[in-house]
Amino acid sequence: MSGDSGKKSIPYTVPIGPVHPALKEPVMFTFQMEGEVVKSVDFAPGNTHRGIEWMGMRRNPVQIVHLTDRICGICGIVHSLSFARAVEQIAEIEVPPRADYIRTIMHELERIQSHLLWAGVAAHELGFDSLFYLAWRVREQSMDLIENITGNRVNYAIVQIGGVRRDISTDQIPLVEQGLAYYRGLLGQMKNVFLNDSTIRMRCRDHGLLSYRDAQLLCTIGPTARASGVAMDVRHDYPYCAYGDLDVHPVLPPQESGGPKGDVYDRIIVRLLEIAQSIDIIQQCLDTMPAGEILWEKKMPKLLMTLKKARGEAIGRVEAPRGECMHYVRMDGNDAPATWKVKASSYSNLMSWIPMLKGEQLADIPIIVASIDPCMSCTDRVAVIQDGSAGFLKKDDLTRLSQKKTLRLMQCR
Amino acid sequence: MSETPHRTPQEIIDLYRTEFGAGVLDATITERGEGVHKTKAYNIWIRLDKDLLRPAIKKLMDIRFPHFAVIAGSDLGDEIELLYILSIFYGTKFGEYMVTLAIRLKKTDLSVPTITDLIPGALLSEREKQEFLGITVTGIPDGRRLFLPDDFPQGVYPWRKDETGIKPEMVRELWAVNRPRDRPVPPVPEKKPAPEEPAAQGTQKTPGGAAE
Amino acid sequence: MKLTKSFNRSLWVFHLNTGSCNGCEIEIVATVTPRYDPERFGMKLVGSPKHADVLLVTGPVTKKMAPRVRRVYEQVPDPKLVMCIGTCGQSGGVFYDSYNLDGPIDQVLPVDVYVPGCPPRPEAIIFGVVKALEKLERLEAAQ
Repeated sequence: MSGDSGKKSIPYTVPIGPVHPALKEPVMFTFQMEGEVVKSVDFAPGNTHRGIEWMGMRRNPVQIVHLTDRICGICGIVHSLSFARAVEQIAEIEVPPRADYIRTIMHELERIQSHLLWAGVAAHELGFDSLFYLAWRVREQSMDLIENITGNRVNYAIVQIGGVRRDISTDQIPLVEQGLAYYRGLLGQMKNVFLNDSTIRMRCRDHGLLSYRDAQLLCTIGPTARASGVAMDVRHDYPYCAYGDLDVHPVLPPQESGGPKGDVYDRIIVRLLEIAQSIDIIQQCLDTMPAGEILWEKKMPKLLMTLKKARGEAIGRVEAPRGECMHYVRMDGNDAPATWKVKASSYSNLMSWIPMLKGEQLADIPIIVASIDPCMSCTDRVAVIQDGSAGFLKKDDLTRLSQKKTLRLMQCR
Repeated sequence: MSETPHRTPQEIIDLYRTEFGAGVLDATITERGEGVHKTKAYNIWIRLDKDLLRPAIKKLMDIRFPHFAVIAGSDLGDEIELLYILSIFYGTKFGEYMVTLAIRLKKTDLSVPTITDLIPGALLSEREKQEFLGITVTGIPDGRRLFLPDDFPQGVYPWRKDETGIKPEMVRELWAVNRPRDRPVPPVPEKKPAPEEPAAQGTQKTPGGAAE
Repeated sequence: MKLTKSFNRSLWVFHLNTGSCNGCEIEIVATVTPRYDPERFGMKLVGSPKHADVLLVTGPVTKKMAPRVRRVYEQVPDPKLVMCIGTCGQSGGVFYDSYNLDGPIDQVLPVDVYVPGCPPRPEAIIFGVVKALEKLERLEAAQ
């Protein structure tokens, strides 16, 4: 072994996982490290593979809608919405406009609660536990609204093929507007806390960089791509539900904060500004919602007969809080679809971890991995093999490393 | 670098037909409008010869750099159809099109060239097709299994509908595990006769109700 | 309700995801937030199985995760409790017929308390923890 340990850094391998920042699944990471710096990263998903597409090819579309609700618990409505839209295109079912508006409102409410969830998780990874609790407390308001409209906090089960199952009555509208007013009042404070805090800026600025070209080549989507300057947003480019009537622009990091650089700080800005955008969209929808029916066909047997006769293929595509969520469905006259392909939004964003994590330090791994918003931060364990001896770092230790770095940066200012 | 001009869906299909001629087996445009104004969104479906896959993707990249979504695969009996789903002209208001390039592979020759040198983000999708449909992607930089566990039997491809698909004994019915079979059937409540309706049979009352 | 001596007024909880959809996960994390605040009962979410008293398991067990679940269970020191949260772990829920699942959780681990729901509300999870404490009391009294 070397006497001058400061000069020579011995490369070693760090496996992390599999229970880790899960998106659809816990992911297994393997980092090649040299000293404190990551040289290369490899990841292996597959721990939550439940065979959903195979199960879907044995059920009829109405049953599949209930299955799609549970592909991911955080993205509550996006999978059901994409699937229902694909099937409606095949069977040429026309959705009543009121149902489109209700779907849009639920879609935006889900976006608000998902971004607040992520804000709390990101704060926890940085060491701001009080911000974590605050963000999740604030999120409870939107969960109350969602529960008021759909009946449940998670797994809304509001989408049915041909419309929505529940309506927003006139005495629910003041409650929704009250919730929106609460968020409008809070948004200024949240922006202040997240963006003007010098520690967050120190930890997040210029870390986890993803260039514009990399974002295009690796097919990143959603806020991760928008933070790198790629102006893509399905609501703006490929309108669905009520977005054809509204004016939605992709949210890019504004010029006041230096324009899009593609680091973790930009991703925080984009998500906070999207919360503000969602509040405006919900207000517009409530103001201009047309009256009318909410379901194309209320009688289930008639709906199932129509779906059984449908033939063709279609793509249903929506903008989930994490990016584009797409379902491809092909039906050929049987009960069950012949082919069903699900592309969840984090599926496309996974590859962007590789350029983002190169050259970063071990203590920055939690925040960078969480910055593309994989579905949930679960427990992870890190095995560090150094000089032949194996030690186990648990999630507490990894997060503590990240939190200690924050303290170090704060002290030497 | 100047941006190439926005084109209509028919122009894109014409560009493909002029370049590839008889290789384009079929091309259709579908559209969908939702909401009150029914603003249209367009999808382009192009069915191609198997060898034209890479030139077709290069052609799309010449028109404007596309966004690659996913590869969908379908078992059609003695052929496997691969659909490369991309989207072009993202960033233009109401102007993005989904372009699907479909190729068919005979089950006797299931090999397709990789597109990861053109679009590196397609790697995960190609790995997934290899393990779920049993095709071989030639030139893939990393051909390991993606979602299935490592001890999953080789030669079993979950999405196939022939004898290499999932066999019934591999399926585990979780609800039936340890389910007691000696309980009596619960009693079915008697159906009350429906009250006389003088008005014509309209829609039945459903939970949720219509708009007030 | 008296808290048992070996737990000394607190119950530390480790959460293990065996392949669930994350719905139960967000409800578990929502349970520790200020609105429901189980820290007044002494319940805390820890990051390592070696510090835990109760194991909260969610999800239907995928084949890849089954050996890891057993390993984590062996690392939790005695006395311990296993709580199964959510319907997937109890009867499969919507995933009732799949080729990649190893069955309900009680085929892999011995479960003490079941909290059904898809996902169960935070109030239901707290109720489940209270039931778990009562069960521990009964076990201690029986010894």
